[in-house]
Amino acid sequence: MKEPDPIVFIIDDDRLIREGLQSLIRSVGLRVETFASAHEFLAAKLPDAPACLILDVRMPGLSGLDLQLKLTDASIQIPIIFITGHGDIPMSVRAMKEGAHEFLTKPVRGQDLLDAVQKAIASDRELRKDRAELGEIRARFESVTPREKEVLDRVVAGLLNKQIADELGTSELTVKTHRAHLMQKTQAESLAHLVRMAERIRTNPRK
Amino acid sequence: MLARSRPWVEASLEVREASETECWIKRGFSMCLTGADGGSYHDSIRFWGFCLDMLSARAAPSKLRVLSLYALAVALVATALFLSLILQVPFGNPFWLFFPVAVITTTWTGGRGPGWFAVGLSTVAVLYYFIPPIRSFQVKPRDVPFFLTFVACEVIANWLIAWRRETEESLRRVRDELELRVAERTAELKNANDALLNQMADQKRTEQALQATRSELARVARITTIGELTASIAHEVNQPLAAVVANADACVAWLARQEPDLAEARAAAERTIQGATRASEVIVRIRSLINKTAPEKSPVQLNRLIEETAALAGGQASRNNVSLELELSPGVPTVLGDSIQLQQVILNLLMNGIEAMTSIADRPRRLVVGTRLLEANQIRVSVEDSGIGLSSEVMARLFKPFFTTRSKGIGMGLAISRSIIEAHGGRLWAESADSHGSTFRFTLPGEEGPVA
Repeated sequence: MKEPDPIVFIIDDDRLIREGLQSLIRSVGLRVETFASAHEFLAAKLPDAPACLILDVRMPGLSGLDLQLKLTDASIQIPIIFITGHGDIPMSVRAMKEGAHEFLTKPVRGQDLLDAVQKAIASDRELRKDRAELGEIRARFESVTPREKEVLDRVVAGLLNKQIADELGTSELTVKTHRAHLMQKTQAESLAHLVRMAERIRTNPRK
Repeated sequence: MLARSRPWVEASLEVREASETECWIKRGFSMCLTGADGGSYHDSIRFWGFCLDMLSARAAPSKLRVLSLYALAVALVATALFLSLILQVPFGNPFWLFFPVAVITTTWTGGRGPGWFAVGLSTVAVLYYFIPPIRSFQVKPRDVPFFLTFVACEVIANWLIAWRRETEESLRRVRDELELRVAERTAELKNANDALLNQMADQKRTEQALQATRSELARVARITTIGELTASIAHEVNQPLAAVVANADACVAWLARQEPDLAEARAAAERTIQGATRASEVIVRIRSLINKTAPEKSPVQLNRLIEETAALAGGQASRNNVSLELELSPGVPTVLGDSIQLQQVILNLLMNGIEAMTSIADRPRRLVVGTRLLEANQIRVSVEDSGIGLSSEVMARLFKPFFTTRSKGIGMGLAISRSIIEAHGGRLWAESADSHGSTFRFTLPGEEGPVA
C-alpha cells in the first residue's frame, strides 16, 4: 500500500504570515492546509496522512498552547512546530514538556522552518508506522482467550511450564497447548518475540 | 526772568507752529511788521508771540506779566495823549475819545488793576494838558462838571469792561476746570482700561501656560500608556516583519526552483510589500502618539479613528485573550477636534477595559466599541467590557486625578480623558452592570451634515 502524501497544517491568525508560510512550504512540493484559528482546525476533518502542525502560540480565542492540550487530551498525535513572536522561556518549556516538536521565534528563517517541517513529517511517519504496527499486534491479540491470557501473563513473568501448571491447577501438557495456540495466534517467531509484543501492548494501553 | 520762562515760550511757539494757519490769522499784524524774511522769521514770531502771550489772559500770572500790563497802560495813555496833542493842532479841539479807548483797551487786556491805573493816568494827563488852565492841575469851576463827567465815563467804561472781562474769565476758568476734569477722568479711564488690558493679557498668558501644561500632561499620560503597550507594540511590529520574512523566503524559493514559478514568486513579493507597509503604519501610529504637537482641531472621522486605535490596542487585547469587537454605525458625522487627543481617550478606555477583564475566567472576555448618532447631531461612543465592573465606591472617585485601581497606573488616564472630552464640548461618564462589566461612554458634537 502506497503511503498518502504528507500534509502540513498552518494555524495563524495573521493572513500575511499564513499565506507566506503556505507559499514557502508549497514551493518545496508539500501539501498545505491553512486555518485562521484553532477552532477552525478542530472543526476540520483531518486526512489520514503523515502531517505536522505549524502553530502560532498567541492567537485570539484558543491559544496555541491551549490547542496543544486539547489535542493531547483527544489523543491526537501530531508533531507541532510552535512559532512565537516573543519566545519567553516558561512558555517554551511548557510547550516542549507537552511534546512540542520544535519551537521557533518570529521572524522564522525559511530554511529553519523547512528543516523543522521535514523532520516533523519524518517523525510523524515513524509514529504512524509505530501506531500501525501496534494496531496490528493488538488485532492479533484480540483472539486470545482469557485462559490463554492467564498463561501469557505467567510466561512473560518468566515462569516455567511446570510452575504455570501448578499455579493454574492444570497439567503441563495443557499449558504447552495454550502456549502453542498463543504463538500461532500472535504470529510470534520466537518466545522472545511474543514477550516483546506483549510488553508493547502493556505499555501502550488502549485509551 | 526771561531765560527762566523760555521753555514755556518754546512750548507756546510749538503750539502755534502746530496750527500755522491759526497763527497767521491771530498774529497777522505781527507778521506784517516783520515781513516774510526767512532768517528772522522765527525770531520775530518768537518775540511778538512772547509779547502777546504775556498780555493774553491765558498767560501764567507772574511779576513780569503784571509789570508789562501796567507798562501797556502807560503806553496806551501816552499814545492817546500824543495823538490828541497832534490832532488838536489841525482840528482845534482835543480828541477826548482817545482816552476812553486807551482805558477800555487796557482794561480789556489787563483787567481791573491796570484799568484803574490807566484811568488815573488819563485823568491826570487830561487835567494837565486839556482842562484850562492848560499845563496846570487846576480846574476852573465851570469846567468841573465836564471834568467829572469825563472821569465818570472812564470809571464806568473801566468798570463795565472789567466786569465783563472777569465774567468771561471765570467762565473760562470753569470751562478750563471742566476740561481739566474731563482730561483727568479720561486719563483715569485710560489707566483703568490699560490695567484691564494687562489683566486680560495676564489671564491669557496663564491660560496658555495652563493649556501647555495640560497638553504636556496628556502627552506624558500617552507615553505612559505606550509604555504599558510596549510588549504588544513589539508584537505589532514583529508580526508584519515575520510576514515579510516568510513571504520573501517563499519568493526566493519559488524563483530558485528548477522551473521558477513567476506567478507564485510575484504573489509572495506582493505580500512582502503589504507586510512592510503594515509595519510602517504601526510605526507611524505610535510616533504620532508620542510626538509633541500642539493641539490642533480638524475634522476627525471617529469610526476611522476607532479602527486605528483598535489596531494599536489589538495586540494587548489578544495577549490577554480579549476579543475586541467594533460595532461602528455608518453615517456618523465628523467631529471637529484634535485627533491625537481623541485617540488617547479611546486608547485609554480600551486599555482600562482590557485591564478590567484580566481576572475573568467564567465568561468570555469581550470588549465592544460602538458608535451611535443621537439626536441633536451628538455622537456617542461606548466602550463596553465584561470585566469586574465598578463598585459604587470606585465609581465615585473614578474621574479624580491620581485615583487608580492598578498597581502600575498613575491614575491620570480618566481625569485627562474627561478634560479632553469636555474641552471638545462633550461628556464622559461610566456605567456599571453590577459585577458583570462596565461601560464607558462619551458624547461629542458632530459637525454639520452626516458623512457616509
